[in-house]
Amino acid sequence: MSMRRRTFLGVTAALGLAGCGYRSVDAIYSQPAGEVPSKYEKRTRVVFWSPYGGVNGKAVDKLVAKFNDSQSDVYVEVQFQGSYDDVAQKVAAALVAKQAPDLAVLSDVTWERFFLNEALEPLNGYFNDGFGPGVYQQKLFGEYVVKGQSWAVPFARSTPIMYYNRDAFAKAGLPDRVPRTWSELRSWVPELAKVQSGGRSLRTIAFAKIDGDWQFQGNVWQFGGAYSKGLDVTIDEAGAVAAGEWQREMVHELGAAYMASSPSTDFANGLVGVIQESTGGMKTITNKAKFKVGAGFIPSEVAAGIATGGGGIGMLRNISAERKQAAATFLQFLATPENSAWWTTQTGYLPVVNKAREDVELKKLIAEQPNYGVAIAQLENARQQDAIRLYGRNANVQIYTGLQQIYADNAQPKKVFASVARRLEAIGDEVQRLYEEKVL
Amino acid sequence: MKTRAIQYVVLIGVAAVFLGPLYWLLSTAFKQPTQIYQWPPAWWPHLTWENFSLAWKAAPFDRFFLNSTIITVIGTALKVVNAVLTAYAFAYLRFPFKKILFFAVLGAMMVPGHVTLLPNYLTVATLGWINTYAGLIIPGIGSAFATFLMRQHFLTLPTEVTDAAAVDGAGHLRTLWRVVLPMSRPMLITVVVITAVEEWNNFVWPLIVTNTASMRTLPVGLLILKDEEGLAAWGTIMAGTLLVLAPMLLIFLVAQRYIVGGITAGALKG
Repeated sequence: MSMRRRTFLGVTAALGLAGCGYRSVDAIYSQPAGEVPSKYEKRTRVVFWSPYGGVNGKAVDKLVAKFNDSQSDVYVEVQFQGSYDDVAQKVAAALVAKQAPDLAVLSDVTWERFFLNEALEPLNGYFNDGFGPGVYQQKLFGEYVVKGQSWAVPFARSTPIMYYNRDAFAKAGLPDRVPRTWSELRSWVPELAKVQSGGRSLRTIAFAKIDGDWQFQGNVWQFGGAYSKGLDVTIDEAGAVAAGEWQREMVHELGAAYMASSPSTDFANGLVGVIQESTGGMKTITNKAKFKVGAGFIPSEVAAGIATGGGGIGMLRNISAERKQAAATFLQFLATPENSAWWTTQTGYLPVVNKAREDVELKKLIAEQPNYGVAIAQLENARQQDAIRLYGRNANVQIYTGLQQIYADNAQPKKVFASVARRLEAIGDEVQRLYEEKVL
Repeated sequence: MKTRAIQYVVLIGVAAVFLGPLYWLLSTAFKQPTQIYQWPPAWWPHLTWENFSLAWKAAPFDRFFLNSTIITVIGTALKVVNAVLTAYAFAYLRFPFKKILFFAVLGAMMVPGHVTLLPNYLTVATLGWINTYAGLIIPGIGSAFATFLMRQHFLTLPTEVTDAAAVDGAGHLRTLWRVVLPMSRPMLITVVVITAVEEWNNFVWPLIVTNTASMRTLPVGLLILKDEEGLAAWGTIMAGTLLVLAPMLLIFLVAQRYIVGGITAGALKG
């Protein structure tokens, strides 16, 4: 199935290309169909495409239900579309079909494409006292601001944090905290290997097979490198290669790490000691794990540095003024401290609204479960990712397929990243003109 | 005696390769979560139906079942009728450019489905068929493969019989219905089953043309289930997979003796 999914992604990526060719930026497109319960029939309907399933999906449903009951003019309909990538591809495909959802959750690496192709509505005109620059956490809000104009607002924003199995750490005789550096984690390998789990010795860390390039972005910084400076690719230089080499040795020299389809599943089932995973997985992991889950900052090595990620909400440009206004009221609703804090307590995502941090419920949760406070404290070290991963089409795929070669085939990072760099350069050239025109 | 024993070992080995994963799917669907992750693996589940109700609740499977059934039944009917009529024309009628047209059909068979995805999507979008049954079904009703299979089979039928029917005054439709199809039953069943399985399992197209849960089909539903339950709930996912698999497995078991006959029929000309 995953092969076919990839093909699908490829095909709709082509659709996206075709789409920006003849799409008139101000044409008004029809709304995707759906079902409106009769009691909401007379309201302005807003279609909201979401990538959140499971625990997080239920939280989205509740927020939307609360919004629908809180006023009498707008009806928001959530339509679940799969992963972040799936949402992006569906939006691209919809635009080709001259349809547009009103709001869509776009990930850290997909909103840029819609922005560059003028598919997003600039949001400054909708800002007011309760919704806008002063309300949101500055860093997270700023990532969507290009040349003074906002193109999306933060919603389910996250950073990777390190989760660790406290029970296993205790059994191994290790301190009850995450390692401070990657070298320290490496020195813990023998102790962790003494712990038995599922009939064999515990592995130290699992690396993600898909999308692991997000965590690796931070790892590269921690080892003193970068994916790119601007669009100039630097992934084949010393820092990134050192980060790759550290991971290769963990997998192939020490046998302490491996590539997992879902590191968080393996972690929750007690097969591995630590993982680097999104703070948005906090609730899910804590619910599923049968042991005490600990969390802490991602280790440093020569430097500290964590990549922000996760989803923001963009408004599509090709919709009627009435739908735009209605959609904006929903964004305003999400920007209230109360709702932002509630979303954090339900999922573990960062509170994107400043005042949400003073929310009583959230404070109580953090007091009881300090894990929920880790990402907030770590945000200070977090920064926006290198431009090539953000703006290069499918740059993330090139990087994580490179990582797969290191994890699975014991390929030398220097060689792998040299060829990844060549492909990234081609990707960068493709977007260079638009990037210089619209971003710089 | 010795070769016999080796044969059996090989047979059991091959059977294990094929049946092992299926058995794992089946047993996992009935296991409790702790049993799934147990090491050494538990070969025999403590039967629980919980996974099925969880799967059913996690995604609107009743709706998915309805959609899949509608699409499979109507889609298969249209596809097979289309294929039989076209194949009949290619086998028995005389018309200009017949050879060229037939090569065009053969050529269509060589085109990978993904190539037509984009043009089909644009057409369906222009017609306003996104997220409708028409959009789900219509683009798939022409099947070069089914047409080809039927035509090849029709050509193996003795011409004396159709000639006799013509002498007795039967028109084309009557010849098709009373003479050709009854003689082609194994092949027809093969085509129906292959088509039905194809429609039922189709994943990419329904994923693209549907936007809401109310229009999605079972394979897409499985994807949703995986996204919903992704973490550690393999029992639920396997239960969902089993629900999707079972109807086709049943059809296949019932029809399999015809299928083997159908695919090999026409391999030799008697």
